[in-house]
Amino acid sequence: MATVHHFHPTIVPADAISNHVVALHELARRDGHDSRVYAIESTRALDGGVLPYRRLFRATKPEDTLLLHYSMGNEVFDQLAKLPARKVLLYHNVTPPEFFAGINPHAALHAQLGRRQLATLADQMELGVGVSEYNRRELEAAGFKRTAVVPLLIDWRAYDVAPDPAVLAQWAAARTKLLFVGRISPHKRQDDLIRLIAYHRACIDPDAQLILVGSYRDQPQYHGRLRALAAELGVTAAVTFAGSVSLAALVAYYRSATAFVSLSEHEGFGVPLLEAMRFDLPVVAYDAGAVAETLGEAGLRLKTRNLAESAELIGIVSERPALRASLIAAGRRRVADFSTATVEERSRAVLGL
Amino acid sequence: MNEVRGRIRQRRESGRFDAGVQAALDRPLPGGAPLFTDDLADPLQALPDVMDADLAYDPRSRKRYLGPAITLARRTVIWLLRFWIGDIVERQDRVNRLLYAAIRQQALAPSPLGEARLAAIEEALARRERDENASNLEWRFLAARFSGVAEQIRAQAEPFVALFPKGGRVLDLGSGRGFVLALLRERGVDAYGIDIDGAAVAESRGQGLEVLEADAEAHLRTLADRSLDGIYSAHVAEHVLPGKLVEILRQARRVLKPGAPLVMATPNAATLTVSAHTFYFDPSHRRPIPPELFQFLLEVEGFTGVEVRSYAPSDTRLREDVPEGPVRENVRLLNKTLFGDRDYAVVGRAP
Repeated sequence: MATVHHFHPTIVPADAISNHVVALHELARRDGHDSRVYAIESTRALDGGVLPYRRLFRATKPEDTLLLHYSMGNEVFDQLAKLPARKVLLYHNVTPPEFFAGINPHAALHAQLGRRQLATLADQMELGVGVSEYNRRELEAAGFKRTAVVPLLIDWRAYDVAPDPAVLAQWAAARTKLLFVGRISPHKRQDDLIRLIAYHRACIDPDAQLILVGSYRDQPQYHGRLRALAAELGVTAAVTFAGSVSLAALVAYYRSATAFVSLSEHEGFGVPLLEAMRFDLPVVAYDAGAVAETLGEAGLRLKTRNLAESAELIGIVSERPALRASLIAAGRRRVADFSTATVEERSRAVLGL
Repeated sequence: MNEVRGRIRQRRESGRFDAGVQAALDRPLPGGAPLFTDDLADPLQALPDVMDADLAYDPRSRKRYLGPAITLARRTVIWLLRFWIGDIVERQDRVNRLLYAAIRQQALAPSPLGEARLAAIEEALARRERDENASNLEWRFLAARFSGVAEQIRAQAEPFVALFPKGGRVLDLGSGRGFVLALLRERGVDAYGIDIDGAAVAESRGQGLEVLEADAEAHLRTLADRSLDGIYSAHVAEHVLPGKLVEILRQARRVLKPGAPLVMATPNAATLTVSAHTFYFDPSHRRPIPPELFQFLLEVEGFTGVEVRSYAPSDTRLREDVPEGPVRENVRLLNKTLFGDRDYAVVGRAP
């Protein structure tokens, strides 16, 4: 019997790509396939377990499907590309190296290698799948002959958890709470969010708070400099680095916030945009990468990078109940486009599960 | 987005969005080099700093036992390679500096092909400008033959001058030889004028009037919101293209205080001997503006109480001293259509 093998270098909790791998794995199992997940490094509990990637060299048969999830360079991909199987590369995008230059040379080097390796894999893959049209175009540019778009498969039922009461209580009193979810990284431009909250407090609401949810483990240099910036601008008390949080806490942050704000300059898909809309938050986001595709008609997109204008737009959204309500309604409609069932159907059709 | 910009303007005016807040928005990320993505926005500016950046490397190892040995090994390797690395660094530095100089030269160097095309475009544009405005015409002689006399112009402006408040700051757009400007001054209005004709400006200044040489639209843009108590503009509208007229009205609305009057006079297109004949005495006239259209243009830009007032009746008229009846009615109609008032003004108030 043909088997579906999923591979990503790391399978960890609270990570969009790992979630995607697991969701596809569970879909394949439910459909009656023999499905297995492999990684180099794993800290995630999974039904059936996460297997060490070396097993792939023994287990893969020519009739099997090998789904390679690609978000970073790694020599293992070169080895796996030689395996006899139907090989599909799922491209989650690799952050361009220029975002890390001068801040994290290690990350910059990795990003550069990742982009170079992608081109070398092109000829060995049967199909390249972008999780957005933006990603698909990059695959095409890298030399992939056959490409397709399949959005991230999100298991929305997993979000039906009770929000963390401690987080809800902590934020109940504050009036304006701007939320951004995403790992702390130069391309996500949390530094601009800190400048924005300084403007917001000076001109709109003196008590406004900025909540940054996301791991800062990978970019300690940038995180340190963000803290220094907040201190220089006198907004240390107004900026919360929540770090990596549990799903219950994440839901509580979405439930507590006034608006979701993204000034990220590079997004391959933007799961938090959808999550925010799922939890009825109005979204204001800078139009970069795949942001426009993911938002569709919902949310307000910032065409120019002007922090004062962005802050005022957020101010208008939070002051006008009617506008807020229409954004929330549009957001709900947009989330429905990415419903688990719809994307499952598309995944089956394109990935041949 | 207009509302957003309006709010930002309010913040600036109220003093909340002050230099301190602007500095916060522009503040670079502390603790190291600027973000590379920010540098990319202005690469030529950033390049010299990046090229001169020091790269420090600390070869010391802090490992407990092996540390000194590792440090020694690293130092040895560095020492052995020092000439080679030095050569590479030196060559790279030369390459960087040459490239930087080349890019700068490229950016500043004249491009013969581009210059030639630009010159051709500029020449064509100048020719078109000359053709459209007849700038090669002997304007002094034209003015001598067709221009109105001072007394007449003053008399016609009189009823409109009364609309402007004493002591108010009023702009005469297209003040010409300054006749109306002088009248406004006599009536105690703090009026100043602008005109694009340098000779007219010099003449007005000679009479002690406050006049600037400027384009109407460009000048209005430099003025602050709600800074004027009135605008008077005679015989300007028919010299500009329709889009520019709209922009002048829009700017006028912005710079006028609420309730301040705007008066714009132009030849009366509803009188056929004007719109078909005398209008073209001035070769720089673009097209006659029907009063109904001009009234609409003011109303659609938000001016209130807009009215049309015509004046300067024609000298020639058909005789109406025939018996009451259809013939007299027809003559009256003909008089109105052919020999009606020669000018009109639209008067509106800023909202």
